[in-house]
Amino acid sequence: MRNFRNLLIASILAGFFLLAYSCTPGACFDETNAYMKASLFLDSTGKQTAPDSLSLWGTGMDTSKIYDAKVSLKQAFLPLDGSSVKCKFTIMINGVYDTLTAWYSTFPHLISKECGYTFYHNLDSVHTTNHKIIKISITKNSITNQIEENIRIYY
Amino acid sequence: MKRTYAYIISLLALISTSDIVAQKPAASEPHNGNIMAHKPAATEPPDTVVFPLAIRVGIDFAGPVIYLTDKNNLTAEGYLSADLNEKRSLLLGVGYANYKYSQYNYSYRTNGMFIRAGVDFNLLKPKTSMGKYWAGVGLHYGISVFTYEIPELSQENYWGMTTSSVPSQAHWGHFIELTPGFRAQLFGNLSLGWSLGLRKMIYSGGSKDTRPIYIPGYGLSANTFSAGINYFLVWNFRYRKINVIIKKEPPQEPDEDVTPQPNSGSGNNQKMEP
Repeated sequence: MRNFRNLLIASILAGFFLLAYSCTPGACFDETNAYMKASLFLDSTGKQTAPDSLSLWGTGMDTSKIYDAKVSLKQAFLPLDGSSVKCKFTIMINGVYDTLTAWYSTFPHLISKECGYTFYHNLDSVHTTNHKIIKISITKNSITNQIEENIRIYY
Repeated sequence: MKRTYAYIISLLALISTSDIVAQKPAASEPHNGNIMAHKPAATEPPDTVVFPLAIRVGIDFAGPVIYLTDKNNLTAEGYLSADLNEKRSLLLGVGYANYKYSQYNYSYRTNGMFIRAGVDFNLLKPKTSMGKYWAGVGLHYGISVFTYEIPELSQENYWGMTTSSVPSQAHWGHFIELTPGFRAQLFGNLSLGWSLGLRKMIYSGGSKDTRPIYIPGYGLSANTFSAGINYFLVWNFRYRKINVIIKKEPPQEPDEDVTPQPNSGSGNNQKMEP
């Protein structure tokens, strides 16, 4: 019976050490931003094609560009303002300006304990001027932290 | 992953305990071997042991100890169990948990009660256990009633800082748990024991976007599987004694394949008739 008591004491001590060791906090390895993902298509071919140059910024925020004369970009990530119901972007494709407006709703979403919460969006509608952009379409309304196309821009 | 290692090691300790018990020969058992093979007479009454049945009250002390090191995590729980017989006992556990967590982009609070009920199975032989020692496993169903809130959450991006909050909301959680464990009498009616809680979530409550991070009684709800450990101080109230029939070990037949050789010097004391 002494074996039982010794084993009990040993297992209790071991358990406490293991418990302390297992309580170390984890780290966040997930994407924490939910961008509106816009794929760029050449209207004449219908294929996803990177323009020669693309610049993008929030309208009224000219000094802070999201993309600045970016080349070889087939999909643009557009951050949305979680405290608003719409966002307006100025997009310059091959030197020609257009304005793109998105209407959406926002709600918090838990990623994980380590990463915390982010804001997901539900895309209601998009509108664009047609200087360089020919048309725009929504492919997936739900804007999450996953790499999933939300809109298509044909130029 | 680290927690998994902890539980594997504890399970190994539990299994090794069973082996110790199984391998230890009882003093009254006949000596196995070719010489002293003993066959009980058909009229011999079966061996019995007097086994005390008890009602137990257990208090977990792991929760308060953890609270001393982490003031954001309080769990207080206890249980009441009653032996049905030498193998099975019914368990009803209740507890309270208050959990807080905060980091740079959010804070989270939850508190609530939980109950768990089920059956514990003692895997020790009655002769070894004698009501003093218990090594076995419990199968329980747990229900948690809790509220949680996210007082603040924020995220900064290109457009600036977005802040929000989720008001307090009440939910139910359901889970099942498997609790391998070990308990030994310290002295008198006082016992000490531990048990692992290997839990499987059935229903966690909350929407998929703002689901609870922590569920009282279950733990972190990120995965549908959770594990924890409890250390219990247990007070035993013995209420009845029962006679338990012990199964006798089947006597081992002499090995007929071995042909005894005269003058073989094998050390076997068996006398061979010519």
